Amino acid sequence: MPLLKTPAITLKSRKWGEADRVVTFYTLRFGKLRGVARGARRIKSRFGSALEPFVCSDLNLFEKPNDPVYRVTQADIRESFARLREDLTLISAAARMVNLVAAVTAEGDPSPVIFETLLGGLRALSHGHDPTLTTLLFQIRLLGRTGFRPQTDHCAACGSTGEMTRADHPGRFSPEAGGLVCSTCARRHPDRCLPMSPGGVAFVQQALRLSPAVLTRLRASGQVLAEVEAAIESFVTIVAGKRLPPVDFLAAEGNPPVYGLGTIS
Amino acid sequence: MSLDQQGLLARLIRELVRLPGIGQKTAQRLAFHLLKTERAEALRLAEAIQAVRDGLAFCRQCRNIAEGELCEFCLDPKRDHSKILVVEEPSTLYAIERTGVFRGLYHVLLGSLSPLDGVGPSEIRAQDLADRLKEGGVEEVILATNPTIEGEATAIYLTKLLKPYGVRVSRIAYGIPVGMDLEYADEVTLMKSLEGRRDL
Repeated sequence: MPLLKTPAITLKSRKWGEADRVVTFYTLRFGKLRGVARGARRIKSRFGSALEPFVCSDLNLFEKPNDPVYRVTQADIRESFARLREDLTLISAAARMVNLVAAVTAEGDPSPVIFETLLGGLRALSHGHDPTLTTLLFQIRLLGRTGFRPQTDHCAACGSTGEMTRADHPGRFSPEAGGLVCSTCARRHPDRCLPMSPGGVAFVQQALRLSPAVLTRLRASGQVLAEVEAAIESFVTIVAGKRLPPVDFLAAEGNPPVYGLGTIS
Repeated sequence: MSLDQQGLLARLIRELVRLPGIGQKTAQRLAFHLLKTERAEALRLAEAIQAVRDGLAFCRQCRNIAEGELCEFCLDPKRDHSKILVVEEPSTLYAIERTGVFRGLYHVLLGSLSPLDGVGPSEIRAQDLADRLKEGGVEEVILATNPTIEGEATAIYLTKLLKPYGVRVSRIAYGIPVGMDLEYADEVTLMKSLEGRRDL
């Protein structure tokens, strides 16, 4: 039973048994993994809040033979991101980040770039950057780093390199093909394509190209953001193989109106 | 007869294994205990399970477990009807009741919001709580949801939902468990306990 040590970000935490938790982490050294934390729900648990979603901690784990679930023995908080717990918008944005990482990564396939991208996304939210824009940028960059880079420089379906967007004729983004498609390919499945203006295409390209340090300076009009959001949302659903909980989960299901989140009748 | 295949005993073991915290060996031990015990005693357990399933429902007002339309707390005229304490599960309600400190009414959400799983306000029927406030007479709502992401999201949401009704909305305190060494407390718990400190 080797003892493993690694920095980790908690993606999900579920109740297990009488007082335990099964926690899904994205770790720096071992990628995504699941661990059982015995007694984590007891009031005097040594884990405290270290296993809560979004928390970055130093983990000690035991690997059990022939068992994909590790035993968590210790967790010391590195960055708690406590601010993210105080605002529903921030909770929802961070939830989308960890949900996407959980959906597009496989267990035991480490990628320090994914770890750093998630850590950077949570830090940006915690530092007060616009949650909607930050979440959108995070999703585009994570897709780019996990082999699902939205294709914008040639047709994602047939590979042709002709002009796909013009000012008077928006491009067509196909979530199923994974990027912009030429007019010939778009005509085959017009109902499955989403419009994307040259501004939207430029936004996606810059989001993929810019370094994290200058990424937060990227801006776009409301219309451009809306079309990129719609395209990325559909693409994420295809990549994840399921519809992830919406970023704006309160507004998504006809919930009772709330002061500050909608209107009170 | 094989214990892990078919037969009456195997059926009982299969049913016991479905209970939380019961594994195969524990289920076997329980099944053999029920075989060895008096027939009347074993049947009392079966009758108690049936009675619970047939005779209990959720309280029409607070959604606690009740033997009639309303639970024992909602029916009690001696309770303080100006205070409502909100919990996620009935089990939490009974933990709070054991303290003997709170004498008001309760509201059980039977769940919590979960942005991670897409569980929204309609699934915890948050509007039912707001409807109780519309009836009047309530001065304070105490939010006793768990200090987890789900519990915090629920508390934030309910605060925004209920504040416009002009009632005091409070949250139970965060802090260090009694009998614990401070040096073992995590940063978030310590930070919250410092923020929530009070004068002596």
